[in-house]
Amino acid sequence: MNAVLARLKEKLALDPLTVKQFKRFRSIKRGYYSAVVLGVMIALSFGAELLVNSRALVVSYQGELFFPTYGDIIPGRTFGLDYDYETDYRELDRLLEERGGAEGWVLMPPVPYDALENDLRAGVYPPYPPSVESGHYLGTDSTGRDVLARLIYGFRIAFAFSFLLLLCNYLIGIAVGCAMGFWGGLFDLIFQRVIEIWNMVPTLYVIMIVASIVVPTFWTLAAVMVLFGWTAMTWNMRTSTYKEKSREYVLAARALGASNPRMIGSHVIPNTISVIVTFIPFSIAGGITLLTALDYLGFGLPPPTPSWGELLSQGTSNLGSPWIVYSVVTAIGLVLVMVNYIGEAIREAFDPKKFTYYE
Amino acid sequence: MGKAAGDRHRSGENKGRLYGWWRGSCSAQAGVVVGMLLVVGCGTETPAVFQAPVESEQAPVRTGVVLPPVEVQEGDGLPGILPDDLVWLTNEDDPVYASPQAKRGGTLRTTIISFPLTLRRVGPDSNGSFAGYIRPNQFGPVALHPQTRRAIPALATHWAFGADGRSIYYKLNPEARWSDGVPVTADDFVYAVQFMRSKEIVAPWYNNFYTERIRDVKRYDDLTYGIQGASPMPGTEMHATYAFGPQPRHFHVLTDDWVAEFNWKIEPNTGPYEITQVRKGKYIVMERKDDWWGDDLKYFKHRFNPDRIHTKVIRDNNVAFQHFLKGELDTFGLTLPVYWHDKATGVAFDKGYIAKYWFYSEIPAASGMYLNSEDPLLADERIRFGLAHSMNFDRVIETVLRGDYERLPTFQIGFGEYDNHDIKARAFDLEKADAHFNAAGFDVRGGDGIRVREDGQRLSFKVTYGWPDHTERLVVLQEEAKKAGVELKLDLLDSAGSFKKMREKKHQIAWSGWAAGGLSPGYWEHFHSVNAGKPQTNNLTNHANPEMDPLIMAYRVSPSLEERVALARRLEQMVHDSGVVIPTFRVPYTRAGAWRWVKLPEWLGTRTAASLFSPFADTGGFSGGGLFWIDVDEKRRIREAKDDGRVFEPVTIVNTDYRREQAS
Repeated sequence: MNAVLARLKEKLALDPLTVKQFKRFRSIKRGYYSAVVLGVMIALSFGAELLVNSRALVVSYQGELFFPTYGDIIPGRTFGLDYDYETDYRELDRLLEERGGAEGWVLMPPVPYDALENDLRAGVYPPYPPSVESGHYLGTDSTGRDVLARLIYGFRIAFAFSFLLLLCNYLIGIAVGCAMGFWGGLFDLIFQRVIEIWNMVPTLYVIMIVASIVVPTFWTLAAVMVLFGWTAMTWNMRTSTYKEKSREYVLAARALGASNPRMIGSHVIPNTISVIVTFIPFSIAGGITLLTALDYLGFGLPPPTPSWGELLSQGTSNLGSPWIVYSVVTAIGLVLVMVNYIGEAIREAFDPKKFTYYE
Repeated sequence: MGKAAGDRHRSGENKGRLYGWWRGSCSAQAGVVVGMLLVVGCGTETPAVFQAPVESEQAPVRTGVVLPPVEVQEGDGLPGILPDDLVWLTNEDDPVYASPQAKRGGTLRTTIISFPLTLRRVGPDSNGSFAGYIRPNQFGPVALHPQTRRAIPALATHWAFGADGRSIYYKLNPEARWSDGVPVTADDFVYAVQFMRSKEIVAPWYNNFYTERIRDVKRYDDLTYGIQGASPMPGTEMHATYAFGPQPRHFHVLTDDWVAEFNWKIEPNTGPYEITQVRKGKYIVMERKDDWWGDDLKYFKHRFNPDRIHTKVIRDNNVAFQHFLKGELDTFGLTLPVYWHDKATGVAFDKGYIAKYWFYSEIPAASGMYLNSEDPLLADERIRFGLAHSMNFDRVIETVLRGDYERLPTFQIGFGEYDNHDIKARAFDLEKADAHFNAAGFDVRGGDGIRVREDGQRLSFKVTYGWPDHTERLVVLQEEAKKAGVELKLDLLDSAGSFKKMREKKHQIAWSGWAAGGLSPGYWEHFHSVNAGKPQTNNLTNHANPEMDPLIMAYRVSPSLEERVALARRLEQMVHDSGVVIPTFRVPYTRAGAWRWVKLPEWLGTRTAASLFSPFADTGGFSGGGLFWIDVDEKRRIREAKDDGRVFEPVTIVNTDYRREQAS
């Protein structure tokens, strides 16, 4: 039993090098705190329905408890209102309060609006300025949608998109790059030319053309971008692999009869990991910027998807309502600065001049 | 009628900017289409200054293709000699609508969003928005009075209708001249038909129109000619449909290379302004002709007052507006609510340097959601009716449109007596929607609140549209429709792409509109069954109704005005009853801001005015433009006052003389 535990411990224990790298990362304060803040933001954005939503968190009505946040809509009739469409919980909250709270109560999320709903009132015209009283902490856009809600949901989409893009690009990029570096020769030569040619295709125009024919969805947009985005990673992987391939430990592995996949998988890639990891934050930032730019130009995700680019374009055409453009520019600025700090810190932490396997 | 339109909300002078780029059937003379400029890039711009007139004089004499004589089909044809029983008509009795106080002089500075790709009137790329500067300066034999909608003399002084009900004879004004001094003769009209039928101009629409709709043209003497159209019509209607303008026979040399060779040549014209300077990619200058032949004509007197029109390319509307605020542009269209209410405020307005005008007029309107009745869901009229009752247009108008626009009551309106004012659009009414949807089997709501039929079919529709500006209207409709259990998915494409999709009938719901023009509404292209179910026609609803077809044909060929009016009203009612169109908005006014030195007549504009500050003859198909003038002395005074910080009374004029109260 003890032996099993000890083995498990050994398995789970971090490589001392990794521990060192992590310590070093922690010691770079701004990178570390950026990572913490961004991590919390991402985690929160995935639970955004609980924080920013027009659906109530909890409704107590005639002794019964309802949790409308996730799942099917609850028609107004359930709460004694005279309609079959989704309950307006803010209205319900007001009504129940007016009646003295005897029938029940409503607990709304901190921001009681979702990203798609138009808060329109007679006599005044959106965009409404920020106001604590109405719950629009960052104001609304030109159709009365809450800017904060759109920022948060937009962030979630942009981040998810960026992450997906990263995953696919790296998977293909690393595979092709490694193969090129490992086999070299004619294979390398041919693939280099293929990539060079492929790189010449103007991605933005392709996306514009696609967008003018079909409405791009999250998946088609990601597919088009992966189609042209994977090449960037190949060059770095190719050079790193070339370098690692000629090291003694690879030769040793080969001499011991290791197969090609084993040599690549267990020896080459782990030793190029610092190259890969260093690029990740910048790729994430790049993905977010790309999607924002496309949305700004109107070639991105279809309306009414919440997106930073769309907010930015609304902001620039409504400069008289500066809260839109301020909010989104601050948000973009903050996220990109944080991602860059993280990137910087990771690069420092993984700097091979400080840590290498062979000294 | 014809041409797709987004909205007529852009600035007056460039109003056609959003409009489609093909023409359905519409009057040849009132060639007001303006087009798709969103794509215009002007790739190779070599700055070069042209001085005109040059080309026509210096070009070596060459002979182009020899055009065949005008071919006449069997059953068509004008008599060989001028019939002697013709009753020659003219019109000198209608009221004058220009102000005698108007002063000539000054420069009007306007803007255009992209540099034109050509200065030709026909052929590839000629439907850009600069066509709105070139075409109104090419007059037809007659024009239409903007108040009475009757014909008034232009190039012709008199006209007479033939006994067959589809031919007109014109007597030209002997004074009429091309801008190079050459007299306008009957030969120029015969040549126009030959020219427009030729394949060298690469203009299939015109090729077709001048073959199918214009059946014959004949010269009787230098100043007399006749034309014959395809089908009989009431008199004024015939002018509007068949009365095409002349082509300068002495200028064009048709060769296979005509399109390229004449791309930047300045064609002689018959209107008051001619192009004198072209700086590619930057600006175009037009100058007023000093001794224009039309100056003394009753309806042209005191019009077309500025001496120069300087049109600068400014590629962004917001930037153009900043130029206007600085006084670098004289006028600016403020039809869009956000401009009128938000942007056009501040110092220059409060101090009275810039005046704001809001002028209601009877502008034809036809914009709507066109439901594709070949779609399995939309084939059911109960679903169409339910859908109409699920669209909360009032809410859109109250909120994003600031209460400025009005609900369009029916498919098309704004044709005077043709309008059927008994029809009211189906209003947002959840109970009625509920009843219709329940009857169609959509009586249960799914977990997301959208109705579902027993077989699992959701009540969900794609709305195809091509104007990003309209998204804010659609999202309101989308959110409101959820209350009725309807899901709208927004299918925003670029304008060319959306239009292509609609014309190929691949849409479910087309959010679009037509640049309605002319004197009477059109039904054949939109509702006749021959246009249903096949691509590249304007029947976007694919509506085919065997009861409507004979009425449409009768309407098309009837020479009697009363009968046509009765038929039009009946057809409009049938369109309403079918529910294939959910009418959207109309903008029953034009709005603009103008620096105080730009003066308007007391009455501001005419009944049919599409713009108050159009410097040219044509606005919305009627000869109502060019009424304003620039007071040069006043301009100096106001500039001084502005520098000294002196203040005037702010001016905001709302004119409702021609407003029709909304039936409520």
